[in-house]
Amino acid sequence: MHPLADHRTQLKVSRSPVRAQKGTLKLGTPGRPLLVGAVAYHPRVVTVWEGFSEYFRRRGLAVEYVLFANYERLVAALLEGVVDLGWNTNTAFVAADARLEGSAVILGMRDVDAAYATVMVARAGDTVSPRDLPGAVLALGSRDSGHAAILPLHYLAKEGVDLDRVSLLRFDTDLGKHGDTGDSERRVLQAVAANEALMGAVGDATWVALKAEGRRETEGLKVIWRSPTYNHCCFTGRPELVEQAREQWLELLLDMDYNDPELRHYMDLEGVKRWLPGDRHGYEDLAEAMGIQGYLP
Amino acid sequence: MNRRQCDAGDLELGGGLEVLLAAMLDPASPGDEVEVSTASPEVARELPTWARRAGHDTVDQRTAGSRTLIVIRRGTSSRVVAPPLAAAGEPARLRPDGFNTRDWRLNGPPAAGADPNSGFVPLGSLAEAGTFGFAWQLNDRDELWSSDLAQLVEGASAAQWDASRDIPWHEARGLPGFLEQAVCQVVTFIAQNEYAAYYVPARFQHAVNPEFVEVLLWLASHVHDEARHIEVFTKRAVLNGAQAYALASAQRSLETLLQETDFTASALLLNVLGEGSFIDLLQFVERHAPDPATAAAARLAHRDELRHVRFGITHVRQALQKNPDLLSRLVAAAEHRAARLLDLTGMSPLIVEALTVMAAGSLAPPRLSKAAAAVRGLMKETAANRITRLQQAGFDAPTARYVSELHTPNLM
Repeated sequence: MHPLADHRTQLKVSRSPVRAQKGTLKLGTPGRPLLVGAVAYHPRVVTVWEGFSEYFRRRGLAVEYVLFANYERLVAALLEGVVDLGWNTNTAFVAADARLEGSAVILGMRDVDAAYATVMVARAGDTVSPRDLPGAVLALGSRDSGHAAILPLHYLAKEGVDLDRVSLLRFDTDLGKHGDTGDSERRVLQAVAANEALMGAVGDATWVALKAEGRRETEGLKVIWRSPTYNHCCFTGRPELVEQAREQWLELLLDMDYNDPELRHYMDLEGVKRWLPGDRHGYEDLAEAMGIQGYLP
Repeated sequence: MNRRQCDAGDLELGGGLEVLLAAMLDPASPGDEVEVSTASPEVARELPTWARRAGHDTVDQRTAGSRTLIVIRRGTSSRVVAPPLAAAGEPARLRPDGFNTRDWRLNGPPAAGADPNSGFVPLGSLAEAGTFGFAWQLNDRDELWSSDLAQLVEGASAAQWDASRDIPWHEARGLPGFLEQAVCQVVTFIAQNEYAAYYVPARFQHAVNPEFVEVLLWLASHVHDEARHIEVFTKRAVLNGAQAYALASAQRSLETLLQETDFTASALLLNVLGEGSFIDLLQFVERHAPDPATAAAARLAHRDELRHVRFGITHVRQALQKNPDLLSRLVAAAEHRAARLLDLTGMSPLIVEALTVMAAGSLAPPRLSKAAAAVRGLMKETAANRITRLQQAGFDAPTARYVSELHTPNLM
């Protein structure tokens, strides 16, 4: 068992694979709205989904949204057919896909979700690299965050860093939100700045957003390492979702125009300028990492 | 497809690099590329993320000696939802004494109708799409405009004064009790009226479409003037410890002014008729005040009121020229107000008496007799001037006489 396997209890994913209850589910059938589940990690999620639902309605697709308190509930609802689509983090996608034995359908992601990366941040005065981690402290975000906990450990291990000799300083805030709130990453940066850790892992988008805005959290820190890229959030559907609903959803999603004044506000709140179809390839590393670290059945 | 080079020197994100990148990428076309050369290893690790978040693609990244070259391809999103800005045009005219408000509209007066849902779009700027509706109520230029607005605004700016320091307050001490009491009653009555003159324009401020910015400037100056008039006459009233009545008859008259919701009808009732009558009163007070402070307050307030009256006359005249049907509506507004003031048969005797004592400066019969004649003269003169002003505002002589007779005996 991987030394980090003891953390898997945080993701309450049942071990039994789920089979569709054929004949009882009416996913995406005509005349019934497409139910999209999302996690309410911030009040703006309501605004976003009110705006997006209205957009789909105007374009002839009835979409209703259902908000969940955490991704575990959302994944469970998706697997049980309570919702047709889940707006998932990468961690939630991999968990759902594992339960569906690799048959989950990806129906779109944001431009920022493609080529996502984790960056390692250290104090600006220190000349360090991940090779210096053994014997030192590494700060990590919430343990269910793909970008701020699971993947950094995975990539560091692949680079040959002996994780058994690294002390982990974890900030397990907002568990269930998979790092969406950004709170744990801010604590990682504070810990590095305060010399409580030699370095810390955060999402590249989080880091650059804070840095480009000149926020205090980034003062005195620098990026010393950038991970390979991976995909982050995606819309996840069950394989039973009817083809017509999939096509209509994806077509309208990809057609959202950031230059449309009616949509810009909502797209800004969602942090997207352009929707992309998404692809499974970008989740392979995370699936491997979650398997090794014991997050999957 | 164009590719431009960008030497980022040692700029960092958050330290100016994003400004340089915006200056190069904003004017570029989608698909154009910028090759950024940076000496900073941090920038090399951060720039692809910045590009992705900004809606661009990083299409190449390689090292060249000690530098990293990163090629960013511009995405399709524009940062502002609006057409491109126009090329710089002709500069505005400057006069020897400065930048006059008359000269700031380079493309003539505003259009006749303004978009009720427009936001705050400063003169000459280009509005970005996607704001939420403001739902302005007054969007018709000719219902608000006057051709000399900019000039009036200039006049208001140039004629501001200070009710604390520009009045010789120290010279207003020591009047005999009966005279101080009379002055106190007169200035209290004036202050009471100034409240109405304050609230009437203030009630329109929030409703005017911001495209008619001169109207905003005008109303703000009007309201500010009246606030100062309230201040100066209140200060004169309390200066020597006397007390006077805020008369119910004045309240009744002024309250009806506040009920008028039409801008032009309000301009007629307040600016032309009310403040018009008031400038005669203020002139009278200036001429007959027993102390220099009261005289100065009346003189400075009179100067402001002349501006307000001029706006009313020009605005009503031009509105009538554009829309002759407006005449019956304006007469109806005067009739409506008069109907609510039927039981007001004349100016309050207390005010007439206070004006008489103030003008007499004494209770000696010959002086009082002369002063009483002067007050009667004021009333006659006020009525005659009111008719003249109504005619200047575009009313024919019989209608002007009729509307003048409808006017409140309270003066405002």
